[in-house]
Amino acid sequence: MPASTGDPADPTGAVASPTSPPASPAESLRLIDAQRKQAARAFFGTPVPILALWGVAWTLGFGAYYVTAADGHHLPAWVAGVVLALLGAAATAASVVQFVRQRRGLRGPSPSVAARYFWSWPIATLAMAVFDLGLDRQGLPGSVQSLLWSASFLFVAGLLYLAGGVLFGDTVMFALGAWTVVVAGASTFAGVPGNFAVLSLAGGGGLLLAAAVLRPRFRPARGA
Amino acid sequence: MTAHDPLPELDPVIHAQPRLRIVVALATLNAGDRVAFPRLQQLVGMTPGNLSTHLRKLEEAGYVAVEKAFRRRTPVTWLSVTRTGRRALEDYTWSLGRLLNAAEPQPAPQNPPAPAPSEAS
Repeated sequence: MPASTGDPADPTGAVASPTSPPASPAESLRLIDAQRKQAARAFFGTPVPILALWGVAWTLGFGAYYVTAADGHHLPAWVAGVVLALLGAAATAASVVQFVRQRRGLRGPSPSVAARYFWSWPIATLAMAVFDLGLDRQGLPGSVQSLLWSASFLFVAGLLYLAGGVLFGDTVMFALGAWTVVVAGASTFAGVPGNFAVLSLAGGGGLLLAAAVLRPRFRPARGA
Repeated sequence: MTAHDPLPELDPVIHAQPRLRIVVALATLNAGDRVAFPRLQQLVGMTPGNLSTHLRKLEEAGYVAVEKAFRRRTPVTWLSVTRTGRRALEDYTWSLGRLLNAAEPQPAPQNPPAPAPSEAS
């Protein structure tokens, strides 16, 4: 070992390292930090693209509903339905792909928690749809149906974001959930088509804002 | 080893860069979580042979737990960092910080230059 012993007679008073590392300590610390960030990104992924995609889907989808309902039927309402369905399908597909890729080759308590959280989404959403259908069957007026369906789905999403914030100790996610349930609840007071404007701007906007706030935290490590 | 080394010794097991990166990557997982060999290999970007060699050294030191299992008749190797390994990484990072501070010019050192503090090295 070519360990240079600290020279007590060193006139500068600098302490020579007894075991000079090949890389400087600063460099080693940088390496540790970069590797840690890279691993965290690979294992836990980033919620930013998924939040942004859902934000775009809600904003444009409900925006389309608002436009078709508000502006004297220049556009048929089904166009809005197609816009929301397509964007929602794209966001769902992206969520599933990310989940599957992240889970690959991992086992233990945390991946199990993540899996249960993931499955909560389709379970809760489908149950909500059944609930809404059941009410529809009792003969709800069209305007109430529209208020119910749009608000209930956003409400479920908000509750799940709240749960995600609790599970993963994420303040931004929790705040997004709190905001989303409030927006969903308030949207029914706006009536049709005002509710669509509320869901588009406040609901979708909340998601986009959360994505923007979280972005710096999940930026890839420099040089990696 | 003297009782009062002026600077900490760096753990030779993880002083090797590839092993340091392996332990750092495994330590990002929560306690009790494991990663399959191919996934870790992809993450650290090493050949299977290279990774195996380093993992054996880490296992011998008690830093990494290697668990062989079967999933649908295919052997899977699950890897995780042990408590010893986590502590070793923490100590190593702490030591680096101390070395870094020592390398910077200190305005007023706590100890005046003692006569030959580390003779037995």
